[in-house]
Amino acid sequence: MAQIQERGSTHVYKVNKISKEEMEQMVARCVYEHPPFCSAACPLKLDTRAFLEAAAAGNFKKALQLYEKIAPFPLVLAMGCEAPCEGKCRLCEIGEGVAIRAVEEAVTRFGQAQKLGGVFRTKKKKTAAIFGSGLFPLFLAGEIEKKAYPLTVFCEEADLESFLRRGTGFLDETAFELEYRRLKAKDIRFVFGCTLTRDFMEERRASFDVLCASHELTSALYPEAACIPELMYCEAEKLVSGPAAGILDAAFGAKKAALTVDRLAQNLDPRNTRGQEGPVESQLYTDLSGAGALTRVPMYGAGYTEEEAIREAGRCIRCQCEECLKSCAYLAHYKKHPGLLSKEIYNNTQIIMGDHQLNKPMNSCALCGQCTVVCPNGFDMARVCHEARRNMVSTDKMPLAPHEFALLDMLFSNGDAFLARPQPGYGKCRYVFFPGCQAAAIAPETVRAAYLDLCERLPGGVALMLGCCGAICDWAGRTELQEQTKEFLGRELSKLGDPVVIAGCPMCKKELASHEGLQLVGIWDLLLEIGLPVGGRGLARPAALHDSCGARGDEKTQAAIREIAKRLGCTLTDTEFSGDRSPCCGYGGLAAYANREVARELTEKCLERSDAPYISYCMACRDRFARQSRESRHILELVYGTDAGAPPDISEKRFNRLTLKNELLRELWQEEPREMNLDYTLNYTDEARRIMDERMILTDDVIAVLDCVRKTGECIQDEDGLLVARRRVGNATFWVKFTREGDGSYLVHRAWSHRMTVVKREG
Amino acid sequence: MAEKNYYTIDPGGKLRCMKCGVKLEKGKAKFLYLDNGFPVELPVCPVCGFVYVPEELALGKVASVERALEDK
Ligand code: SF4
Ligand code: SF4
Ligand code: SF4
Ligand SMILES: [Zn+2]
Repeated sequence: MAQIQERGSTHVYKVNKISKEEMEQMVARCVYEHPPFCSAACPLKLDTRAFLEAAAAGNFKKALQLYEKIAPFPLVLAMGCEAPCEGKCRLCEIGEGVAIRAVEEAVTRFGQAQKLGGVFRTKKKKTAAIFGSGLFPLFLAGEIEKKAYPLTVFCEEADLESFLRRGTGFLDETAFELEYRRLKAKDIRFVFGCTLTRDFMEERRASFDVLCASHELTSALYPEAACIPELMYCEAEKLVSGPAAGILDAAFGAKKAALTVDRLAQNLDPRNTRGQEGPVESQLYTDLSGAGALTRVPMYGAGYTEEEAIREAGRCIRCQCEECLKSCAYLAHYKKHPGLLSKEIYNNTQIIMGDHQLNKPMNSCALCGQCTVVCPNGFDMARVCHEARRNMVSTDKMPLAPHEFALLDMLFSNGDAFLARPQPGYGKCRYVFFPGCQAAAIAPETVRAAYLDLCERLPGGVALMLGCCGAICDWAGRTELQEQTKEFLGRELSKLGDPVVIAGCPMCKKELASHEGLQLVGIWDLLLEIGLPVGGRGLARPAALHDSCGARGDEKTQAAIREIAKRLGCTLTDTEFSGDRSPCCGYGGLAAYANREVARELTEKCLERSDAPYISYCMACRDRFARQSRESRHILELVYGTDAGAPPDISEKRFNRLTLKNELLRELWQEEPREMNLDYTLNYTDEARRIMDERMILTDDVIAVLDCVRKTGECIQDEDGLLVARRRVGNATFWVKFTREGDGSYLVHRAWSHRMTVVKREG
Repeated sequence: MAEKNYYTIDPGGKLRCMKCGVKLEKGKAKFLYLDNGFPVELPVCPVCGFVYVPEELALGKVASVERALEDK
């Protein structure tokens, strides 16, 4: 019996390093984390999207909280900001952009402010002083206070009110009152009525760690000073100083200056570790098709009312890229965009010791390539997951369990169920029909009909090869096994005279295309060339065509299938997710073995787009749709007027492959197959059949156990009088609960398995 | 020295070894997987040493330990 070596130990302390550059390059393609264009244009980095979302929901309190993060005096900023964000709003491309500033003003006016002052914060040791008045000193005072440095402001004004009036003439009285209360509540010491001279300032240098001044003062008192605009710092004079004009400039300048103050207070170089400051470029992709109203809510008074602001904020479409999450059930399941998920999966491969928590997500991707097509930047999640699997296999860190069943199935296809024969009467053949392992497992009659038809109508002989193309070990990341499979198939093909391979499945075609020098043609193309056989018939009802992920990017195949369907008289409906954008049925990438739930969600996603019967051209798709109780037919079933009927269970799939091989051997090649007949009768309860399929236990496994009992007599009887026996087969121990019936037959009630071995312990 | 057992099942005289014709008893056993071992106490035939792993144990505890080890 075919077997795959289990990895020896969990104690493998080496990993196969991947290059950081490659990973970063890959991850960078995903723009999900890029800011929306409005935020990108805002030097203060307002989270505009979240802000407008809160405002649209009428939650002005939350909106104001977000706004207060960027503006210590929100009304001053909101009423005076030049709003570069508005011109960058994506809606400008199709209509009027969101009136962001007006919404900000309404939010700051009507929103409930944070509790003013009140919260006790420990002050830092280092101190700062600001000289002068105006917008920059005002904002800077707010920023420094927020950083908890004890702050003193020296100004010429006689009181707080006149200090606040400087530069804020555009505020109406209500707004001024609100901001006055805000300023008053701040923990700032003011020294009013100062005569600000250079000496006055220099005398205070000893008492403060950092000195700051308005631009007016600096240029008047320190005319030689050169202010570095990125730092807001005159290095020679050791003076933090502000910009001349503009409200947004003052606010952004104050942000930069506050960071400089912070660095200087800690005796650090203000140039270092500042992070990204100011507006950025964004490559965010947004689907604009969901946009609603394209014109601004009109403003009747000086500003929006609460209700108007809510409506205007509601026009924001919350720019976000979720093209892939919208179309891929796997990504939707993990609720992570590929940029982040890839980073985690890459990191998972680099864990030397400890849990690889991303194994399951890594193995759940269908490797179908849909994301690469729908992503505006062509993100290739399949490559990430595929490479990660190979990487882990290469260091023996990959668990065998999730893929073992599929791999054994492949070995079965290319072992006991394998067949390669030239057409009777031919030595070497011009063609070989390669229907694919799933076709023989799911629709053996269709395979037989297709083969006989090809033999009859194609010149030069058509050999038959029943086996697996190797996609399974490829998906599992088992490169060594993949190479062996390739060599094996290569040898068998050369024995047949290296004929042109007629692939019955687009996935096989894709996999076999990696064989050098191999000539390949899809059966669909050939059938169009030689004409459809008589007897084929389309479905009476309109049907949805499901494109195989094996044919992604292969327009010719997609078109050929449509043409065949048309000639058969089918009426097809195409939807948004057809052709290259088609999702995977859940079989791809062995998703169905590693993660049943995700695989089911993938299948459901395929079925979501239509209630019609589905026509596919990959047997695995046909099978998975039928398992979801959808009327599902493979195009070849229609071509040959066959119906594979209800989907087989895992044991029947093996049985079908073996039976097809044996029957064809007998009928066409007059060979008597070696059949292993049981010399006893074995029956299963329905429940046993069901749980065996669910637990991926084959009738062969059960037979192995019963053979063992019959030989050794080793079994036990449980409290209900049922017999239980077990046997180790490969990497698992199988248990069977059964009864011996009156007629000497066996009835299997339950079956289970585990991978651990269990032994008696002495002492 | 008392050894730590990860799991204990006492057959309570309800299981019988058909080969040896005796009742299974609570006995010492060990699970092994990927180079890791776990001492347990399971129903064991005192004569031939048949160790019984009931369905619930296989699908429950055993399966979850397997999953955990596989991802090491
Ligand atoms: S489609 Fe997905 S992978 Fe591509 S940029 Fe958008 S979120 Fe990222
Ligand atoms: S629609 Fe909204 S998120 Fe998008 S750019 Fe405009 S304001 Fe920003
Ligand atoms: S399942 Fe397909 S569409 Fe989804 S991430 Fe994987 S390769 Fe991309
Ligand atoms: Zn015994």
